[in-house]
Amino acid sequence: MGASADRGMMEIRLSGSGGQGLVLGGRILARALLLDGLCVAQSQSYEPTSRGGLCRADVVAAESTPDHPLVGELDLLVLLDPIAAAASLELLRDEALVLADSSLADGFSDGELADVYLPGVELADVDLADIKVHSLPLYQTAKRLGAPRVANIVALGALTTLAGRWSQEAMEAAVLEEAPRRSSDLNLQAVRLGLALPEGQRVAR
Amino acid sequence: MASDSSSGERQNLQGNVACALGAIAAGCRFYAGYPITPSSEIAEQMAARLPKVDGVFVQMEDEIASIGAILGASVGGVKSMTATSGPGFSLMQEGLGYASQAEIPCVIIDVMRGGPSTGMPTRPSQGDVMQARWGSHGDRPVIALAPASVGEVFEQMLRAFNLSETLRTPVVVLIDEAIAHLSETIDLSSSMPTPLASRKVATGDVAGFLPYAATDDGVPAMQCPGDGYRSHMTGLTHGEDGFPTQDPATVERVMRQLLGKLDRNMEQIECFETLECDDVDVLVVAYGITARAARRAVVSARERGLRAGLLRPITLWPFPERRFRELASSANTVLIPEMNAGQLCVELERLCPHPGPVVRLNRIDGECISPRQILEQIEKLHAHD
Repeated sequence: MGASADRGMMEIRLSGSGGQGLVLGGRILARALLLDGLCVAQSQSYEPTSRGGLCRADVVAAESTPDHPLVGELDLLVLLDPIAAAASLELLRDEALVLADSSLADGFSDGELADVYLPGVELADVDLADIKVHSLPLYQTAKRLGAPRVANIVALGALTTLAGRWSQEAMEAAVLEEAPRRSSDLNLQAVRLGLALPEGQRVAR
Repeated sequence: MASDSSSGERQNLQGNVACALGAIAAGCRFYAGYPITPSSEIAEQMAARLPKVDGVFVQMEDEIASIGAILGASVGGVKSMTATSGPGFSLMQEGLGYASQAEIPCVIIDVMRGGPSTGMPTRPSQGDVMQARWGSHGDRPVIALAPASVGEVFEQMLRAFNLSETLRTPVVVLIDEAIAHLSETIDLSSSMPTPLASRKVATGDVAGFLPYAATDDGVPAMQCPGDGYRSHMTGLTHGEDGFPTQDPATVERVMRQLLGKLDRNMEQIECFETLECDDVDVLVVAYGITARAARRAVVSARERGLRAGLLRPITLWPFPERRFRELASSANTVLIPEMNAGQLCVELERLCPHPGPVVRLNRIDGECISPRQILEQIEKLHAHD
């Protein structure tokens, strides 16, 4: 519905399947943006099952309270499971950025969205103008830490670097504040590995 | 779970958490309930927070017991509430009617999810608007509030308790799942300070005390067990002395008093917001999360030169009839987006000064109505002018 003049305005979605820590991820991201001085609205959608099923966490950020708190045109999209792609691609704005996991079976490849293989997705209805897909080994990185469950935190680190729209310090602080205390060291390692993951891929916006 | 450890600063707070914080700020010190998605965080928060302010939390065996417990606590002099969702709200309807008839202050939160029956527990809906109005039997005064943001949930909880106490009537707060589970950045310390109201307490002679005697504002003063007044409380239609009666003249008098107390205090009950309503072709009426989408759509429509405006009832029942009639009489069309198969629209059709112009936009698939959907409808309606 038209680009906003609000410089802080952005719409972000973390999506995948239930159990991947997406709702916690959304809360951490919202906290990081708050620490960076923005106003946020964070929502989520999940199914009644605790594992599996489509799951997403959305964050809308702006310099003042967003009038409409739900996403409509995504600037940033994270895909931790290929099943989540179909439901979100039609919401992508021109010049949107997609971060996808390359290390899952049936995973995503890197490049322009038009050239990327996305299982189960019919691209005919999607406007592909300048949408960039960054495929990074998020789960593989988490497994190196011995904890696949922190793939969500790795993803937040990578997204922070790729987007370049909020500070690394805020993200690290938000991870420590919102994630379980007993796993602070693990989560800090995960977010730092994530921050370093896109090396050389940072996109100027 | 969002914390309130940083009170006095900006924080990201979930709607359900704001609901619990608002209740405690309003002076609520008793909660009885049976957890149900998507309202469970309210119970969770009250269980954690009430003991710290010398309050009491009880998890009940079901929703019928829950409303019974809060009515008992309220009669005992404590501000009381419960929270539930559609299925539990249905079970509470009998108790709600009792609260109206016996004039017992209490606050009931209904976090609306997809229905009917168990429906879609995690998906948003606005399907209980008419249950809130007509769910209990008989004619009774009904107040229902419908906040549209996390900050407004907090503010409306203060209003809910104030209205309930000053008018001695149950107040329902209808929150859709989208607002209940939304986290927004708010600063509670910057919200307008709202003076807290408490029920009018009986004074004067113990001898000859009439617990339901009319007062200036139509609301009887309330006694508290143990304060010396003898009284009787019943769901049967009762006279001013509190005892059952079927004397037609008495019944007519006390029922008119019961139903009339909202009309006599409408100034404090009515609450709505208007946006761009000076010269309106298409008047959008929306509440809850849908009003947030409508706000965006109206702003976009104005940018396109379309004369759209928004009426957002915050007090949903009683509906702001007078203001609606004024706005609708100058508009060509009234557009009413709702996340149900069409509920409040029936009221608008009834109130509309000229026939035919109420257009419904409904969504019943568990998804929220988007600003784009509303804007497209506004554009279509303009094209037809």
